[in-house]
Amino acid sequence: MDTDSGRDLISDLPQSIIETILIKLPLLDAVRTSVLSRKWRYKWATITELVFNDTCLIPCQDKAIISCNLVNFITRCLFLHDGPIHKFELNTSYSPTSPDLDQWLLFLSRKDIKELIIDIGEDDWFRAPSCLFFCPKLTHLVLVRCELNPPPNFKGFLSLKHLSLQQVIIPPHDIEGLISSCPLLESLTLSYFDSLELTIRAPNLKYLNLEGEFKDIRLENTPHLIGISVAMYMTDDIAEHFEQSSGCNFDKFLGCVPRLERLIGHIYFTKYLSIGNEQGSFPVMYQNLKFIELYQVSFEDMKELLVVLRLIVSSPNLEELQISSSSITTTTDIYDLDFWEKDWPADCTFGKLKIVQMSDFSGLPHEIAFIKFLLGHSPVLEQMIVAPTIYVTDKVVKMLIDLLTFRRASPLATVKFVQEPL
Amino acid sequence: MLEGRMAVVKPEMKSYIWLQTADGSIQQVEEEVAMFCPMICREVLQTGAGSSKNCAISLPQRVNAAILGLILDYCRFHQVPGRSNKERKTFDEKFIRLDTKKLCELTSAADSLQLRPLVDLTSRALARMIEGKTPEEIRETFHLPDDLTEEEKLEPLRNMTDDPRIRLLNRLYARKRKELKEREKLKNVEVEEEQHVDERSVDDLLSFINGEDEDSKGVRTTKSKKKNRRRKEQARNSSTNNETGNHNQESSFPASSCLNDDVPSPSKPSDLQDPAFDEGDIDDELDPVMKEEIDREVEDFARRLNSVWPERMQEILSLGQERRPVPLSVNGNGSLKRYTAGLDGR
Repeated sequence: MDTDSGRDLISDLPQSIIETILIKLPLLDAVRTSVLSRKWRYKWATITELVFNDTCLIPCQDKAIISCNLVNFITRCLFLHDGPIHKFELNTSYSPTSPDLDQWLLFLSRKDIKELIIDIGEDDWFRAPSCLFFCPKLTHLVLVRCELNPPPNFKGFLSLKHLSLQQVIIPPHDIEGLISSCPLLESLTLSYFDSLELTIRAPNLKYLNLEGEFKDIRLENTPHLIGISVAMYMTDDIAEHFEQSSGCNFDKFLGCVPRLERLIGHIYFTKYLSIGNEQGSFPVMYQNLKFIELYQVSFEDMKELLVVLRLIVSSPNLEELQISSSSITTTTDIYDLDFWEKDWPADCTFGKLKIVQMSDFSGLPHEIAFIKFLLGHSPVLEQMIVAPTIYVTDKVVKMLIDLLTFRRASPLATVKFVQEPL
Repeated sequence: MLEGRMAVVKPEMKSYIWLQTADGSIQQVEEEVAMFCPMICREVLQTGAGSSKNCAISLPQRVNAAILGLILDYCRFHQVPGRSNKERKTFDEKFIRLDTKKLCELTSAADSLQLRPLVDLTSRALARMIEGKTPEEIRETFHLPDDLTEEEKLEPLRNMTDDPRIRLLNRLYARKRKELKEREKLKNVEVEEEQHVDERSVDDLLSFINGEDEDSKGVRTTKSKKKNRRRKEQARNSSTNNETGNHNQESSFPASSCLNDDVPSPSKPSDLQDPAFDEGDIDDELDPVMKEEIDREVEDFARRLNSVWPERMQEILSLGQERRPVPLSVNGNGSLKRYTAGLDGR
C-alpha cells in the first residue's frame, strides 16, 4: 500500500482545527471523511455541532423512504458520536415520528446540549418530551410546531439566552412562567400565538419579536429592551375585546422600555397602541430610540395618527422613520385638518431626524399634512422619500406638486418621489 | 534600530516588536501589526518580551518564517480600523489563494497564535476543498494515505443464498486477512491508539448514506485484480443487489449459513481458484472476454432488479476493483464477527 508522494498535509493538524473545518461542511460530507484514511475514521465523531437539514437527504422516489432514511441517519450519527454535542439542529420538511424525536432529545439532554433547533414538517406537531426541560446548559432554543408542557417541577432554563417559539402550543399560564424563569433571557421570539394575553417579565431581555394575535401584551420588567418588532394580527373577536378594555395599551407596552433603540410595528400594531391612548401627556421619553418603522398605519384614524405623533415626539434622537400607510380607504371626506393648526404643539423639533420614508402613500389629507409637518420641523433632514401606493395613480401629479411646495426646515432636504412602490 | 532600548512610542518613530521563529531567525515587526495576534499581545503585556532583539518573543513551533510573513501580511491589512467590510472580504478572498500545503500550515500557525479570524478563514477554505468531492479527490488534494482498504476491504460477505462462490470468497478473504496480519507484524506497525473496535458501524452509516449515491462512497481500491475474483463479483452482485433492495427492511440473516463454509464447495470455479490464490496473481489483467460476459450478466441482473447498479458496477469493473458489499443491520455485524473468529481459527 503506497502513499502518495508527499507528506500527509492535514491529518495531523490539532483536532480543534479539524473540527472547525468539519463543522463548516454539510454533515453528510463531514461523515464521509471517515473513508479517507485510517486517521480520519472517527475524526468527525467528536464534532460538537450536528446540523441535519435537507442536505442530508438522499434523493429517492418514495417520500416515506426518504423520511425513514433521514431518521436512520440521525439515529446512527448520534450513536456513533463521541463526546459532548453543543448544537443540534433539525430542519426538514419531513416529520420524524415522536418516539424517534423523544429518544434523540433524551440522548442530547445527556450531552451538554447548548443550542437546540427543531423545525420539522407540518404533518404532526411533535410533543416535546419532559427531558427537554432538563437540559441545564441550554442557551439557545428554537422550536417550531410543537406542543410544550412544562412539567410541574420545572425550574426554568437557567442559562437560556435565546428563546424562539413558533406555532407552539403551550398552556397560556405556562408561557409567562417559562419566560420569567429564564433569568438570562436576552432574545425572545413568539410567533403565531393566538389570542394570547401576556405579561413579560425578563430583566435581561434585549430583543423582543412578536407575531400573532395578541389580546394584551404588557412589558412589565424589561428595562434593557433595545429592539422590539411586533406584527399584530387582529381578528374581530380581538377587536371587540379592545373596545371593552380599559387601560392604555401604549403605556402597558412601551411604558418601561427607556433604552429602546429600534421599534418595528406591522399590520395592526399602531391600532393596538391606539387603544386607550390619551392625547396630551408624554410621560416616557425614548432617548435612545433611533429607528422607527411602522407598517400599515391608517391615516384616516385620528387615534392611530396620534400614536405615531406621540412616538416621534417622545423620541428626540430619532434618526430614521419609515411609515407605510394602510391601503384601506373609507369613503368619509371629513377630515379634521384643523388639528394640525390648533391641537398639535407646533414647537416640537425633530433635531436628529435624517431620513423619512413614506410608502403606500395615497394622498390622503392627513398623510399630506403629516409630511408637511415633518418637513417643517426637521432641521437636519436629508431625505424624504415618498412612494405611492399601487392603487392610486391619477392623483400622483397633484401630490407631487403639493409636496414640492411645502416649507422645508432643512436646507439639505431632498424630496424624492419614487414611482415604484418601495 | 531600537536594540537595547525599551520600545517607546514616539510620534516620529515607529515601535517594533521582535519575534523569533522556531528555526532561530529573528525579525522585527511593527508593533500594531504584531499586537493584532492575541498570543503576541499577551506575551508583550504580561512579560514585556519582544522589546529588543535579545528578548525576542519565541513563536510556537508551528510558525515558520515563511508562514509568519503571510500572517503578518494578514495582520497588517486587518489591523487598520478604517477598512470597509467589502474591502476586508476582497482581501481575504485573495489571501487564501494558496497551495494546499501552505493553507494547512497557515491554519496551524494561526491557531497557535490564537488568531481566530484567520483560523476561520483558512478553515473555510479547506472545507470548501473537501465539500462535494469524492474521497479520491480529497486524498489527492491532501496527500492522504489510502490505508483503510487493506483491513476493511477484507470483511467477509454475507452469504444469504448459501452460494458456494461466496463461501469460497469469504474463505479467501480470511486467508488474505491472515496474510496481512502477518505482514503487519513483520513491519512492526505501531498500535493504533484509537480504541474503536467496531469499524463496521461507521461503514454502516456511510453505506447507508451512500445507499443510492454511488459517487461519493469511496471505492475500495486494491491492487488485486485476480481473474477469478471477477466471477465472484457476479455472485456478490446478486447478494448485494438483494441487500440494496432490502435496504430499509429488517432482514434476518441466517447466521448459520455463514458457518457452512466448512463444507467443501463442489462447484467448478472453486477448484480452479484455490491454487491460483497467491501473491503472484495480484496483478493479473482481466481477460477481456470474461469481462464482457460479466458485464452483460451484471447489467441483465440489475435490470431485472430495476436498480441503479449498472453504473456502479461499471465503475467498479473499470477500475478493476472489488466492492465491499453493503451491510445492513447491526445484527449482521454480530453474526459475522463470530464468523470471522471461526475462520481465523482455521
